Amino acid sequence: MIIEATNVSRVFSMPAGPVTAVRDITLSIAPGEHLAIKGPSGCGKSTLLHMLGCVDTPSSGTLLFDGRDVSTLRDRARSLLRLNQIGFVFQRFFLLPMLTAAENIELPQSEAGVNKDVRHARTRELLDYVGLGARADHRPSQLSGGEMQRVAIARALANRPRLLLADEPTGELDQTTGEQIASLLDRVNADGTALVIVTHDPGLADRCRRILTMKDGRIESETHPVGRALPASPKPSGEGGSGPPGASR
Amino acid sequence: MRQPARATLGILGVAAVGALLFDMLLLSQGLVISMRNLLEQSGFDIRVTATDSLPQGGPMIDNASSAARAIAALPSVSAALTIRFASARIERAGKTPVRSSLQGVGLSDTRPWTILRGNDLQRGRELLINENAARMLDVTPGASVTVRASCSGDSEALPPVEFRVAGVAAFPFDTPDAATAATSAASLGEACGGQEPDAADVIMVAAKDDPVIAAGDISQLRPDLRAFTNDESVGRLEQGGFTYFRQISTVLTTVTVSFALLLITVLLTVSVNQRLGEIAALRALGFTRMRVVSDVLAESILIVGIGGALSLPLGVALAAGLDRILKRMPQIPENLHFFVFEPQALGVHITLLALTAFVAALYPMRIVARLPIAATLRDEVIS
Ligand SMILES: Nc1ncnc2c1ncn2[C@@H]1O[C@H](COP(=O)(O)OP(=O)(O)OP(=O)(O)O)[C@@H](O)[C@H]1O
Ligand SMILES: [Mg+2]
Repeated sequence: MIIEATNVSRVFSMPAGPVTAVRDITLSIAPGEHLAIKGPSGCGKSTLLHMLGCVDTPSSGTLLFDGRDVSTLRDRARSLLRLNQIGFVFQRFFLLPMLTAAENIELPQSEAGVNKDVRHARTRELLDYVGLGARADHRPSQLSGGEMQRVAIARALANRPRLLLADEPTGELDQTTGEQIASLLDRVNADGTALVIVTHDPGLADRCRRILTMKDGRIESETHPVGRALPASPKPSGEGGSGPPGASR
Repeated sequence: MRQPARATLGILGVAAVGALLFDMLLLSQGLVISMRNLLEQSGFDIRVTATDSLPQGGPMIDNASSAARAIAALPSVSAALTIRFASARIERAGKTPVRSSLQGVGLSDTRPWTILRGNDLQRGRELLINENAARMLDVTPGASVTVRASCSGDSEALPPVEFRVAGVAAFPFDTPDAATAATSAASLGEACGGQEPDAADVIMVAAKDDPVIAAGDISQLRPDLRAFTNDESVGRLEQGGFTYFRQISTVLTTVTVSFALLLITVLLTVSVNQRLGEIAALRALGFTRMRVVSDVLAESILIVGIGGALSLPLGVALAAGLDRILKRMPQIPENLHFFVFEPQALGVHITLLALTAFVAALYPMRIVARLPIAATLRDEVIS
């Protein structure tokens, strides 16, 4: 298992009283998993995703990443964990506007200390993978929303994470563009990276093999859409090796 | 740096503020350094006066020539020269009379001036004049002029005395448009109508080796007189009016540095606040807290560094302009400067700017260090 969350809750203390965003959730995520989390606004989807991504820690319960209790890790160790094992895709892309597409993709690699030649090759490979080979030197302002999200996906994959987390990745995009991003994400998962998508969009959720529906901070139901049953065994890391994402390290 | 326009604004602000800061540093020591140079330029190391007051400001030294001889005979002293200050009206047929300072110097081989044309003083009734006097009287060496001296502060008209202009000289304390003249002590005594013929305002002494030792010897020889080395003279000036410049400069430096601090802090804070989403995203992608915090510091150093580099030529140009304005005050010797460059000022300038870059970045660095990743990502989507 990549992640094993047991009885995880997250309570925010607010002036008006504590707000429980996530209540007592137990959940595991296996390598290669294809998971959607849906539910009404305010039900705690993003809060759960942030805990899975190790940017937030549970108020109670335990969350193990690769068997390690995340709440015992110091900030630096948690940053390194995110850098090397987890990719994030955001609704608002959050590309650095002064950097080109290629530079944005290189950024996490240089932070991880990857040498220049390897970095350049990996960036090329990723740009081709997301279909933006010709836009390497364009800045975000010169790209469309869908293209920016592609760059953001490439950036999230730069350090070959085992887990990719996406919070409303199509939230800012029109239907057609959203579908293109959705199939790109499908491909990323097919190529071996575990994928967790938080979304309102039933169309996007239904592409996943496993769907969690949340309500009031709890998992209300878990479904496996027809024709997309759980694979007998999760795809072992690295075996999807046809495309760039490659969970092999 | 998201917005080049804002960064440029910051750089220009630092350049302007840095130029002012640099000038304040040049001003704080400028007059003192310049005065020391001027004193040393005369070739004498020690000034001997009757009392603690500055030459021309206090009582004169009586029997000055014998005092100078005795001082010159000290083993630590190489030369001693008496100077008596007076003023005079110098007249020449067909020209407007010129008001001039007139100094009478004793016998000595070392003299405080530099001859530009003609000869140095050799016999009686000879006069050296500066360029201004030469121009106003339209005379060349060899010409005759009439001198009406006014001595010891009394303004009663003394009989005119005929002098021959021996040469044109540059005097260390010359002001840009005043006339200066010098003659021998004996001739000045005659022009003064024989009043106090052997009195002097100051005895200028050149030390053989260490001025401090020579000054000590002089004090021992003549406990009734005061001997000041150039350093002590500068020190006395510093205690007098010159400290105003340092105080003004300290106040203005503080104001300037605070202004730079505020400017950079505001710029960086605005810039950081606009990028909270990006910063939180980078943190989510695995950038360490240290890394995003040091990026803020780097931005500060970049802005202050470029601005600081620009501030130097700007400061030098501004200092030259300000110096010219200040020197329009009357009675300022031509070679005296208010803004004087010394390497130490550059060192202080760089240190202050470096501190500014660091301190200005503290608050925005704190914002970034304390940024909650999850909450920020959420806020950025909601807003
Ligand atoms: N940092 C926070 N401080 C206070 N309350 C918070 C914080 N983050 C989340 N909450 C609260 O927790 C609850 C769940 O929020 P969350 O953002 O996880 O919902 P969501 O399911 O992602 O909603 P949406 O679909 O609108 O994005 C909400 O009531 C929200 O107000
Ligand atoms: Mg959300």
